[in-house]
Amino acid sequence: MTVPTTCPFCACGCGLYLLAEQGELVGVAPSETHPVSSGRLCARGWGAHEAALWGNRLRQPLINQHGRRETASWAEALDYVTGRLKDLIEAGKPVGVLGSPRASNEENYLACKLARAGFQTNNVDFCFHSVCGPLLAGLEDVCGEYAPSASLNDIEQSQTILLMEGDLARTHPRAAFSVLKAVEGGAHLVTLGYTRTQMARLSSLHLETTPGNEGEVIDSLLAAVLDLGLEDPTSIALHCDGVDALRRDLSSARVTEDACRAAQWLARAKRAVILMAPSSGQQRQARRDAAALASLAAITGHLRRPGSGLLPLLARSNARGARDMGVTQDYLPGHQPIGDGRAQQRLVDLWGKKLPSAGGLEAQSLLESVSGLVVLADDPPSVLPMGQRAMAALEKVEFLVVLDAFVTPTSSIAHAVLPIASFAETEGTITNMEGRVQEIHAAAGLPGEARPGWQVLAELCARFDGGVSYNSAPDVLKEIEQAVPRYAGMEQPASDDGWGGRWVKDFDGGKCKVSAAGVLGRPTDKHPHLLVRDEAFDWGRDPLISFSPTLSRDSQSERKLFPNGFVEMCKPCADELGIPVGRRAKLISVHGDAVLPIRLRADLKSGVLLVPYAFRDRISKVLGTEGVMAVKVEQA
Amino acid sequence: MQPINLTIQKREATKWLEKLLEASEVIAPRRGRGGDIVFSTTTSPGEVLWDFGNPLHPPKQFILPQTDPIVKIQRNGQRHEVEPIYDDSPRVLFNARSCDVKGIAFLTRMHEMEPADASYLRRANRLTVISLACTTPCPLGFCVCTDSGPFLNDSYDVQLTDLGENYLVEVGSEKGKAAVSDVPELFRPATEGEVSQRKRLEIEAKNHFGQETCHFASAMRRVSTGRVPEALWERMSDWCLECGGCNLVCPTCYCFSVKDLGRDGAWIRCRMWDSCQYAAFTLEASGHNPRPQRKERMKRRFFHKASAQYYQRDGMVGCVGCGRCIKVCLGTTSMPAVVGAIRKGKWHE
Repeated sequence: MTVPTTCPFCACGCGLYLLAEQGELVGVAPSETHPVSSGRLCARGWGAHEAALWGNRLRQPLINQHGRRETASWAEALDYVTGRLKDLIEAGKPVGVLGSPRASNEENYLACKLARAGFQTNNVDFCFHSVCGPLLAGLEDVCGEYAPSASLNDIEQSQTILLMEGDLARTHPRAAFSVLKAVEGGAHLVTLGYTRTQMARLSSLHLETTPGNEGEVIDSLLAAVLDLGLEDPTSIALHCDGVDALRRDLSSARVTEDACRAAQWLARAKRAVILMAPSSGQQRQARRDAAALASLAAITGHLRRPGSGLLPLLARSNARGARDMGVTQDYLPGHQPIGDGRAQQRLVDLWGKKLPSAGGLEAQSLLESVSGLVVLADDPPSVLPMGQRAMAALEKVEFLVVLDAFVTPTSSIAHAVLPIASFAETEGTITNMEGRVQEIHAAAGLPGEARPGWQVLAELCARFDGGVSYNSAPDVLKEIEQAVPRYAGMEQPASDDGWGGRWVKDFDGGKCKVSAAGVLGRPTDKHPHLLVRDEAFDWGRDPLISFSPTLSRDSQSERKLFPNGFVEMCKPCADELGIPVGRRAKLISVHGDAVLPIRLRADLKSGVLLVPYAFRDRISKVLGTEGVMAVKVEQA
Repeated sequence: MQPINLTIQKREATKWLEKLLEASEVIAPRRGRGGDIVFSTTTSPGEVLWDFGNPLHPPKQFILPQTDPIVKIQRNGQRHEVEPIYDDSPRVLFNARSCDVKGIAFLTRMHEMEPADASYLRRANRLTVISLACTTPCPLGFCVCTDSGPFLNDSYDVQLTDLGENYLVEVGSEKGKAAVSDVPELFRPATEGEVSQRKRLEIEAKNHFGQETCHFASAMRRVSTGRVPEALWERMSDWCLECGGCNLVCPTCYCFSVKDLGRDGAWIRCRMWDSCQYAAFTLEASGHNPRPQRKERMKRRFFHKASAQYYQRDGMVGCVGCGRCIKVCLGTTSMPAVVGAIRKGKWHE
């Protein structure tokens, strides 16, 4: 069997074929005609079949009864879950639902419906939202929407690319490919970051940033555009509000020579794309940085120009879809604020239920305050910035239900486990970061008694008076079209036998409200180094990687060599501190201290100490609630 | 075996395919999504494509599967029983292209080397390869540079050539003979005119190759004697995104890793395609990695592909000029691009 489907890893949304024999996955083949991937896959895509085949799968419903965990029939398990949750709701205790970027639109939509219509609560979110939320919110502050205005294929045609660098070659290889092709064709690549990454090495200009203070460089670019008179007068007149205030806010911004060069390339390009990875540091600042980058696109006329624009880089495949489906506490499906009367009415008519009026909690607070929790296809401790504190919070939840295809730390402590299909065994759609809604198809048989996730969620919805029943995933999509106007027309079959990815409909954002990033404080003499939590998504703990024999090797080896984590620094930095390789460093901040072995990394800026997201728990005492912290370093 | 030249009328080819389908699994190029062409198991002759660009995913998966069960391990009391798994199903690979047939021949030579790989060879022995000669070269192919196309002079069981009304059927092996012997009434001996038409078509095809060339000889001299500057490897390696696609679609790559799959109380030891471009390919259990940097892995790949040392051992460069790595490369480091850079000592200048 050769089954066309969509890659489950990052949000680029490449197309691939899953190969199966006798109901079991055996491999992956690329597709030359897929509009996103056109024959190319990254290492993850090439290994997409592995986790579902080799992984530790959930095969039977499990419930905790009589003080121990037992297998149960589906009817028993669903009755048990419904009963326990209803008891909690009747007792007036808070309950909530966590959706997932690893789940389909159909699954996320039903998760949202289960929370809002079934449980009558706005306590619904997804964990990864805590990481990508500020970036999207920043865009929304400026554009009135969070949707990107550029596509992956636009990158290749651009004359100038501005890349707010995480490590694009690793996080989004498909996007990095387009950057390579553009650079090969003579485009100017400008990278912003504190690491000389692969993309930075290929850039025409690398603008070095200070972690947590990326806004300084963005403001410098904005100021350069305005100082040199490079703004696009038409765009400003038609689309931008707040330019005078922006000028005032930027009056003290330092305009460097490099910023002027980059500003000229950007402003003079017919087509330019700005790629934005989530920046390090405080959430509030990350949001302002994103807004400032969007403003840069707006005043140079690239925001609304066809072939130009912004592309926020989402790490997980269906993060966009989860948001579109209303799996965030403050937005209903279709990204309408929960207080929006018209959107509420539409859902009330559709669901035949009133909607909850009280506001909901975002993922981290939700975990810490609900008594009953349904977690769909996710492992909060490995995704949330709060790390293992999430595990402690989950352990305190009175009744925890997990719907997942894989055994995860969260499923292991759940009071009820409902085994569902992985992406390779179910039908549905996912929405990539550009806004393409693409199909996933079942290539393999369901393991044990597992059922498709949409079916289990639909059953739960029905048990909480959700009303309608669904016969298939396309049935759910039909309802999504009514709930999410921008998804209208999705369910119609593609006109040819093509891949049939459809776009989320364009949104008329109205005028942009431009703004600057603003500048934060700097390290002090007392704490001269900057400790940074790398915000790049920790794929190593995602079951799609950790259960793949080929893809898990790097992260497993790293964890074996450094069971207690490590901190990366450049050699000059280590030399200056007098810490020999193989020794440990003590990191001291105003909040507390931690001791970690050091690992040298040549491409890191001097003075910056980087800890991968995977090891964030090791430095949580040093960071406090921040993502970047000024520290003093000593040999431990 | 002395080749036998036969002819079959085009409209009779369906009958021949029907007969082949009765006897075994037939793998042929078929339509996938959105105009893609894929090699897959055929259920009726109508699905088989006769005019097609070579599928991006090579047919090597049918002789060396991406996930290949090789041994079953079972506990028996205090002992473990180890039982080899063989796949003896007969298969016909139909309408394969010349480059892929050369690729399969190369793989078979590699797996015949001592210690011979019984798992591979059992499958290979049951595979009949029926190729369709390329009268029109594919746009990115460069098989003329690797002596693996557009027509074959060896390595096939049966080679078909489109002569307009008929196909010339060159039978090159006992397996090929068996493939035509069930329905002898469909075939007649080829005329001298038909055989010389085939020769003409081959020359014409060779004159119509596209832009891609690959000057292995001069690259080989530099690679084999270590005269590729380190700085060049380093520069090139920044243009690779480590997807491994070049290895996975390469008809001549056969490197693998091994992992046990638990099934019904037993373990199935599987061989899985691997890529020498992945950082963990040479990662040792101690955590030591002899090739931690991408440039070192890239250097290794091209040493295996294009050094005199391997050429002497394998009888050819590790490339059949199919051009797949050009299409599949997530960077810009395909075989012709890197060979060109090695030859010129320059990259993107």
